[in-house]
Amino acid sequence: MIDCPNGELRDLLPDYLHDRLDASNRASVERHLATCTACQDELALLRDLRGTLHRAPRIDVAAVAAAIPAYRPAARERRVTGWRVAAAIAAIAIGGASITLLRHGERIQQTAQAPIAVPTTQTPTGSPTGMPQQPAQQPPASPREAAAPAAVPVVKSAPAPSGEELAMAAGTIADLSDGELSDLLGELESLDAVPSADVESTESFLAGRHRGRHD
Amino acid sequence: MPDVALPTDERTDLDLIARWKAGEQRAASLLVERHANAVARFVASIGARDDVEEVVQDTFVRAFASLDGFRGESSLRTWLFTIARRLLLDRRRAAKRRGEQVQVQESDAATEYDSLDGVIADETQRRLRGALEKLSPTQREVFVLRVSEGMSYAEIADTVGTTEGAARVHYHNAMRTIKELLDD
Repeated sequence: MIDCPNGELRDLLPDYLHDRLDASNRASVERHLATCTACQDELALLRDLRGTLHRAPRIDVAAVAAAIPAYRPAARERRVTGWRVAAAIAAIAIGGASITLLRHGERIQQTAQAPIAVPTTQTPTGSPTGMPQQPAQQPPASPREAAAPAAVPVVKSAPAPSGEELAMAAGTIADLSDGELSDLLGELESLDAVPSADVESTESFLAGRHRGRHD
Repeated sequence: MPDVALPTDERTDLDLIARWKAGEQRAASLLVERHANAVARFVASIGARDDVEEVVQDTFVRAFASLDGFRGESSLRTWLFTIARRLLLDRRRAAKRRGEQVQVQESDAATEYDSLDGVIADETQRRLRGALEKLSPTQREVFVLRVSEGMSYAEIADTVGTTEGAARVHYHNAMRTIKELLDD
């Protein structure tokens, strides 16, 4: 069986077979078929193959239709559940941040209560000029002072949290007792709409249906 | 390439879906009656054996359960074929995990087909079926959708998860293979 060199037209033969061509293309195909024996043969082969493929196993269409449940809109329920999940995620995120900041604040308090060794050069108590004393960390006034080693090691403290950070740390999840925390975690785990990271297997979805069908 | 005319029953499918959502269960039955045999042909041609009806039923149950997500961007039949194909692949994977033989043997497929549809005495039919069974799984899928269902390459690409160009190549390779086998 030879192939027609007009590949574009051959490509339309299955559409012609299924009557899916518009009038213009159908006319083109029919004009070509009138003179091309290769395409006539191919169309006949396609007809036979379609006939063969249409010998499908018979199925009980009524039984299939009977298995279709009544429509039950699920969009609203899904949307509400989605908000619950979002709220849960936000609560966890804020809780985690609060704990971190609270610990951060405790470190600051400990640092503040500990005696701080002030790095200073020995200056006389009282200025002869009556001017206020220089702060301890002022740049050295002369190269000789700069070269001199510090008398006392510097103790660095953590940077102070901003007001916003402190506000976040106050009155959040960290205020909960262990029991309350446990209850909250249990409640979060009980949410049934957290999407699985894995693609759901249709096997598991349908297993229940088959069981019900065969029972 | 000239355009192919759009199928005429798409609007009816969408109307029936709307009627089912409005509570008319008969609309669901009409949709099943319209598409079930095509889905059965498709799953049988790509390897379903004694579980054709089960796969078809599962396909419709799953499709109706998620019709809210069907936007009508592809035809309903294309969407059903996509679901059916996915279900069949899942079944094959599950069977493979259980250590079952999942590759459909050519002779088995032909025998199963014959037993379900009565004895096919016609020698031409046997040769055609034999040629179809010689195609690679992808070629057979594409060829069945094109020849048996009359799908466009775009619809085939949607169904089997490939490109239009690749679908076209698979179809023509399949046709060449069939011709060569029949000429032998």
